[in-house]
Amino acid sequence: MKYNGRTAATSVVMAAVFVGLGVRLAFLHLKPSPGTLARIENGRHLEQETRGPRGRILDRNGNMLASDVAAKHVCADPKFILENGSITNVCDALVSRFAMDRSVVWNLLNQPDRQYVRIQKFMREEAIEPLRAMNLKGLIFEDVPIRDYPKGVLGAHVIGYANYEGVGSAGVEQRMNTLLQGVSGLRISQKDGRRHEIYSQRTVDIDPQSGADVYLTIDQQIQHFSEVALDNLNAKYHPAAAWAIVQNVRTGEILAMASLPTFNPNRFNTAPAEWLRNRTINYTYEPGSTMKAMVIASALDSGAVKSTDIFDCEDGAWHYGGRILHDSHEYGSLTVADIIKKSSNIGAAKVALQMGEKKVYQALRSFGFSERTGIDLPGEDAGIVWKTERWSKLSITRIAMGQEVLVTSMQILNAISCIANDGARMRPFIIRKVVSPTGELLLEPQPEVLNRPIRPDTAKEMRRLLARVTQPGGTATQAALQGYLVGGKTGTAQKADLVNGGYYSHKYIASFVGFLPVENPAISIIVVADEPTQGGYYG
Amino acid sequence: MKKRQKTRNRKSQVRIPFPTVLACFLVFVVVFGLSYLWLCARCEMLGQEIKQLETVQRDSRRQLNNEQDRWSSMLAPASLDRALKRHHLVMHLPNEQQVVRVRSGTIASVTALAYNK
Repeated sequence: MKYNGRTAATSVVMAAVFVGLGVRLAFLHLKPSPGTLARIENGRHLEQETRGPRGRILDRNGNMLASDVAAKHVCADPKFILENGSITNVCDALVSRFAMDRSVVWNLLNQPDRQYVRIQKFMREEAIEPLRAMNLKGLIFEDVPIRDYPKGVLGAHVIGYANYEGVGSAGVEQRMNTLLQGVSGLRISQKDGRRHEIYSQRTVDIDPQSGADVYLTIDQQIQHFSEVALDNLNAKYHPAAAWAIVQNVRTGEILAMASLPTFNPNRFNTAPAEWLRNRTINYTYEPGSTMKAMVIASALDSGAVKSTDIFDCEDGAWHYGGRILHDSHEYGSLTVADIIKKSSNIGAAKVALQMGEKKVYQALRSFGFSERTGIDLPGEDAGIVWKTERWSKLSITRIAMGQEVLVTSMQILNAISCIANDGARMRPFIIRKVVSPTGELLLEPQPEVLNRPIRPDTAKEMRRLLARVTQPGGTATQAALQGYLVGGKTGTAQKADLVNGGYYSHKYIASFVGFLPVENPAISIIVVADEPTQGGYYG
Repeated sequence: MKKRQKTRNRKSQVRIPFPTVLACFLVFVVVFGLSYLWLCARCEMLGQEIKQLETVQRDSRRQLNNEQDRWSSMLAPASLDRALKRHHLVMHLPNEQQVVRVRSGTIASVTALAYNK
């Protein structure tokens, strides 16, 4: 057998190739370059971070108000779909299931250089189940948690909402965000050539942990009744807005808090910003006559007047400080008890004058006006009570009837609750307890006495006077209930004209604040209607 | 003849000793290797099983959450109101005569009153 030159050359080339490959293999195994090593590692490395579900929000009886549920993003691989020739089928299926515009879907799918497009976001599992059953190749269903509010609009302003990143952005969701938020899980492992995890290479495996459950003081049924009552008020009086709060006078717990216009937290992004506003704590207004209850309570407590003292109510028009102060009806002489019952502006102004500016100011501050109540919700307003140095001669007479001060409904209700609670002003709270997923109690706020603006005997006397308001001859006879003695105070305040000064002649804020039963108060309620446009405007 | 037989005997007497140690070592290596491979395969299988069970657990948890959420939605007061309306059921709160108020210390007498009613 003879070897010619060609055979020798081929052998040399083959040998060179194999030697080269061998050297390369040896280098790859024995001394790979850092770049190569990193590339290999990147290709193999698998790191999955899983968001821990947010904790639930429940009412005081354990009814679920918010929870995380499983949803899916519907995505597609346009390159695969086009290569497979199934674009028409996939497009038809998507259009029929999601009622989408066909041209939009077609344009999304008709992108041969793309391997990932998102068709629909945050779809509930039951909504995409028919689509999954069709088993269309090229469609991808990505798991994603979504925050759901199963009760819809119920308690929307209290619960608030969490945004699509799972961050609480309003209400309890925002205030308790750190406790509600779950702890993300982490899995570090390696994957094979088919991108499947190699289980034996799993080095880190931390399960995601759910956030804590937050129990509210809200009662689902009372909340529902409050919202229905506001809907009825809205239908009858057509106000621009209306809101209501129900509070446990003994503990300060909030049992219901409703505000209209409202929104559905499941579709928070479609509601105008004004609808998201919790007016019970962040809308300040001049309260009108409801303020008389606090002024007269302080006057009785300080001994400036007695309930039987008689004041001349000037037949409905009193000239003081260069201005005329009017009553809604013409009254002659009224006792302090009747000033409350009839809601006489002139009588209240004279009682305040008898107290003096300093005492009136101190009384309002001790009832918690001009400071936040401390309720555990974000965005609470403090309101305004100017210091006496800024008062004019007329101020004391106007403040006594609820003008020249700005308050929130929460402040007024808490002040009335203080009278109902023997003079002890409680901190209103809405978080009942926070429980970890393992059942550990993380937080349990206790009722907290803020201060005692009036003595228990004064509070008792005031309750008796406020009970007369709902009796025949009082201003709130409609608030009387069969079987319960109700105490309370109405308020009808003209709205201030912030542009031209003074007050609008046709814009009012009507309110009622009360408690029951008078003998042993359990709950207090405030209802406010902003600018009622038909069917009367009185509180 | 005798000389020839002697040479043959000498030849048959030369034997290569059996490498017992080496054989044991090789058997050990083979058994060890096979055990290692079997354990690897078993681990891989268990890993697959764990991953499947993890998926089942995740899916079950997700399903439970979704069902609880749907149940909670059905129990919403507004949903109950709608259901009552759908079935033409009208419910009223009790009037004063129908309410039995129970106060501490008077439970026995109130119960008796309720029975009397």
